[in-house]
Amino acid sequence: MAAAGIKLHPSCRVRQEGFGLLFYDCKGPRLLFAATGTLLPADYFGTVRARDEFPAGTSESQKPALQKFVTQLLEKGFLREQ
Amino acid sequence: MSNKYVEMGMRSPVNLTWEVTLACNLRCNHCLSSSGEKACNELSTAEALDLVEQLHTARVFQVNFGGGEPFIRPDFEEILAACHARGIMTCISTNGTLITAELVNRLATNPLVAIQVSLDGARRETCDAVRGDGVFDAAIAAVKLLAATKIPASINTVLTTHNASEIPAMHDLARSLGVSLRVSRFRPSGRGADNWESLRPTPAQLLTFSDWLAKSGDVRTGDSFFSLTTQERQGLGLNLCGAAKLTCCVSPTGHMYPCAFLQSDRFEAGDLRVKKFQEIWDTSEIYASFRNLRIHSCEECTRFDQCHGGCPAVAWHLKNDINGGDPECLERCVTSIADNRLDLAA
Repeated sequence: MAAAGIKLHPSCRVRQEGFGLLFYDCKGPRLLFAATGTLLPADYFGTVRARDEFPAGTSESQKPALQKFVTQLLEKGFLREQ
Repeated sequence: MSNKYVEMGMRSPVNLTWEVTLACNLRCNHCLSSSGEKACNELSTAEALDLVEQLHTARVFQVNFGGGEPFIRPDFEEILAACHARGIMTCISTNGTLITAELVNRLATNPLVAIQVSLDGARRETCDAVRGDGVFDAAIAAVKLLAATKIPASINTVLTTHNASEIPAMHDLARSLGVSLRVSRFRPSGRGADNWESLRPTPAQLLTFSDWLAKSGDVRTGDSFFSLTTQERQGLGLNLCGAAKLTCCVSPTGHMYPCAFLQSDRFEAGDLRVKKFQEIWDTSEIYASFRNLRIHSCEECTRFDQCHGGCPAVAWHLKNDINGGDPECLERCVTSIADNRLDLAA
């Protein structure tokens, strides 16, 4: 079975800040400050992605942390599975 | 809430209040902007649409529309549509009197809109004493129209001494209508300053409200009561003033301020007819001063981490001192009540 795709929740927005990514959920409203630096571009979750898909150039050592981050975003409702 | 990142400064506001007009068909006693007549030289449609484009470029997430009564502006739906076309979320604060079934049907076609209807009492007499005769019934009718759609709708109540005892009933009323309740803090600006003494909640009422709020997690406050936040609500919102850090205000004439309660020359950050939105956000000395604001007089307080000195706007209006600490914070309410008891006992 293919891995589920993930995408930004329709009620959420994200943008790049100096520290990394700033997520906003208008339903709370609530904010999430993610110190991701430049690891992930803000528009990365604008299209459906595989859970283990990361930008080109992501090193193997960075992937576990990013996978954990994606899982947290799903649990907190900022991302949703398609 | 990560204060570290907030204090580093955001590239643009997360959300902002845009008072699109001063025109209003009501004359509420507590109106923060003394709305009534349309202001001279309000932003034209073209200027408003240009501002929307600038907000989009700045990646502002949400615009909270207020006034005045936003729906009085003939081009308001055009401004809304421009926001929605750019993915900007919108929340409209309305008195509800101009809400019709046709308008609600049009608004309901867009998932990026939320609406707050102002209602200042669970009883008709309480609400209409502040907002005018017939407003309670009109607002309830508007809420019913909205509740029948998918539009996220809420009743917005400004806590005053006259409705403080009715807040739990308002919560029940909102639930019975199928919408949420949002309670906003009464601040001494606009007509609210003129009627401050007759409308302000007492320290005891503020304490009672704070306790009730702690048990009512589904009630929103728009972060206006962070000065009263108890441990139970920590994590539900801000623990510091977000003005010029996470939010700001645009007036009907295109002037920018730290927040809607500080719309005076003293706090003007810039004029959108002279400078671009992003330039004002980045370079305004007023905004810089708010980002660097430290309420030193509150730093020894045991609750400092929970409110960081409270609302500077209230401190300004009541003590003419932006650095003075919120005169109506939870700690000062407790102290005030204790002092009164001592005075009575003496």
